[in-house]
Amino acid sequence: MAKILIPTPLRQFTGGADTVTASGATVGELMGALLAAHPDLKKNLYNDEGKLRSFVNIYVNDEDIRYLSKEESAVADSDTVSIIPSIAGGR
Amino acid sequence: MIEISPEAWDLMVDHAQKSYPNECCGILIGDEQAGLRRATLAVACRNAYEGEQKDRFLIDPRDQISAERQSRELGLGVLGFFHSHPDEGAYFSQTDLKNHWPFYSNVVMSVRGGIFADAKCFRVDVDQTASEEEDLSWPKS
Ligand SMILES: [Zn+2]
Repeated sequence: MAKILIPTPLRQFTGGADTVTASGATVGELMGALLAAHPDLKKNLYNDEGKLRSFVNIYVNDEDIRYLSKEESAVADSDTVSIIPSIAGGR
Repeated sequence: MIEISPEAWDLMVDHAQKSYPNECCGILIGDEQAGLRRATLAVACRNAYEGEQKDRFLIDPRDQISAERQSRELGLGVLGFFHSHPDEGAYFSQTDLKNHWPFYSNVVMSVRGGIFADAKCFRVDVDQTASEEEDLSWPKS
């Protein structure tokens, strides 16, 4: 079971949990297991086409999955997966 | 309402002034009780925006990972973020609105001529279509 770290705004959809454990060999499988357990997370993480929203970053340990194999990126039980809100702006 | 501790505030002002004329950005860590958010720790982040940083910023996600780790170790949480507007007012721009998340307290600091001038805090609605000012209290020296 890998650990998934839930950022504060999304904890209302995981019953307040800041960490969720889930099984899966890839990031995609892990996220599937997370969404099966907490379906309300889906609209916050994925768009209507089922693609990960652009302002959601997913990291396996310290690596952005965009630079690994995206949702095909391998996950081991000892890994920590972080959901990171993309924060930007300007004036 | 969000209250910034003296230690956190010093770091924020220092980061904003040293980054001038570019925008700075960072993370606010603390706790929330009965609707009062207390930011006890501020973390200065790298501005990862690729391009002119005078009017844009992007928080380096790797800094978010380490801040998240740090906040969990302290038994605290990430309350929000801060960034600066060099030679502009402390308002929440359309660019800010489109690139921030709901829930978080987002402090905008106006820096004029390299010196801190003013700050305001904003929260974004779930659709990222409107922002609302949140009461902000910082140590006045
Ligand atoms: Zn801004």
